[in-house]
Amino acid sequence: MALEWLQSLSDFEITGGLTLLSLLIGGIIMAVGVIIARTVKLLFTKYYAPKLPQDTAKNLGKLIYFGIIIISFLVFTSSTGVDLSGLLVAGGIFGIVIGFATQSVVSNLISGIFLMIEKPVKQGDSVEIFGQDISGTLLDISTFSVRIRRFDGTIIRVPNESFFTSNIRSLTSTPVRRSEVTVGIAYKEDIDGAISVIEKEIRSTMPFVLVIPKPEFRVVELADSSVNIEILVWHPREDWSEVAPNLLKVTKRALDHAGIEIPFPQRVIWKAKE
Amino acid sequence: MLNKSEPNNFSNYGGYVISDSLNLIFPNIEIKIKKVSEKVFSYVRKDAEENLSEIMIPTRSNDLHIELCPIRPINHPAKRTSYVYLDLETPIFLSEGSAATVFVRCPIEIGVFLIHDGRKDSLDWFTCDPTNSRFGLYGSPESGTLCKYSKSAIVESYDDSIPFVNAVLEINIQNELNEGYSVNKVVFPISDHSLYYKKSKAIINSVTAVLKKKLTIKILDVFPKHIQTDWTPSPTFEKTESVKRMDMGVD
Repeated sequence: MALEWLQSLSDFEITGGLTLLSLLIGGIIMAVGVIIARTVKLLFTKYYAPKLPQDTAKNLGKLIYFGIIIISFLVFTSSTGVDLSGLLVAGGIFGIVIGFATQSVVSNLISGIFLMIEKPVKQGDSVEIFGQDISGTLLDISTFSVRIRRFDGTIIRVPNESFFTSNIRSLTSTPVRRSEVTVGIAYKEDIDGAISVIEKEIRSTMPFVLVIPKPEFRVVELADSSVNIEILVWHPREDWSEVAPNLLKVTKRALDHAGIEIPFPQRVIWKAKE
Repeated sequence: MLNKSEPNNFSNYGGYVISDSLNLIFPNIEIKIKKVSEKVFSYVRKDAEENLSEIMIPTRSNDLHIELCPIRPINHPAKRTSYVYLDLETPIFLSEGSAATVFVRCPIEIGVFLIHDGRKDSLDWFTCDPTNSRFGLYGSPESGTLCKYSKSAIVESYDDSIPFVNAVLEINIQNELNEGYSVNKVVFPISDHSLYYKKSKAIINSVTAVLKKKLTIKILDVFPKHIQTDWTPSPTFEKTESVKRMDMGVD
């Protein structure tokens, strides 16, 4: 009974040697391929992925999954004896049309592949994209786009091509970062004395400021109303928010306690005698 | 091994059993533990700037068992590294082929552990010297190693630690180079080291530092060495992690 049914399927030719039976066998091959692909990906995710960097594990998982699917498809086409040459010719013409229409999609795909190979930044890094006013934590690099969680909590999707061709500033790829502020003191004040009190205040109240390299103080400008001192401090890369926003506050407190004047702009106007 | 807090004096490291209340006094830090209801205790820590930190502790028994001990100095102000950078106040000069053993001070923090069912869980930790608990960078900003930094004085023996502020560390230095060198700093991962205490003093597993050539570069190879002592070993709460030992360059 079953044999007769299979015989009837093999006799039913759809087109150019492709029978209903070979299509059924092909379907089974594809289904088995999908099951194997999913199982292998699951095993990979469970046992090997935790030992790899997150983005590498994710990309390798995709490669394994789609690799097995493609192999299954090739087995399917060879077992059914489907001649793909006609399809390729048609596909070639169709491809040109589609290529023009999907130029940006392909561009994003290629950029995504290059991003995965070059790895200018990795998942979890804090990044800043110049010219686009985007900064935040890199969530993932996928086939067509990059997702970034901005520091205000919102998530932004950046096309791979745009990300790949931009100047990317990585904020977390070095162990330490530097923050700078500039403060002005009155001309009558002693510069070394002011630097000394600021340095002491930073040392005693800012635990994340590094002792080595030590804070640096540069007189950067003899301005209209003040002598401007630039203060440069290093801190662990994770602690920017503990240092940079407080540095000016700590500096002002130190100068206030020492009675050192922070001048505001003043202009002396001489009135000519009539 | 139960200690009593002595009034007008600093408390000691060790185990404490609290049935009603207990005050512990350390430099810049005061801890008050008291029973607030049956099987519930309140733990309050006050620092020199009057900042309060309070924890409620439910217990299974009517007493609260705690242990105070020195711990590795890598938690304050935040856990950022496992490395310690000891900047020696006095450099040590080693002539060609010579060796020396010195004792230096190494910063510590203090851990409070809750003892229950034969286990020791971390309840709190603090430093008695917060103004000197700072970070330093060994190497360049691009590829250097972030470390807990401390100026380190050379002392005579294991008894010369400053109570609750630092421990004494023995460093065995050997010069295998064919020229004399001064050693003025030692950088090593302290996560490999155990601490021990007796009353208010603390010591730490020693390190061996070898000045040698690796290919064409002169390095100070620093590795830990376990010590035999009758002092009490401190428990630890930090997750054990393997930290890459670093080849220190020679200045």
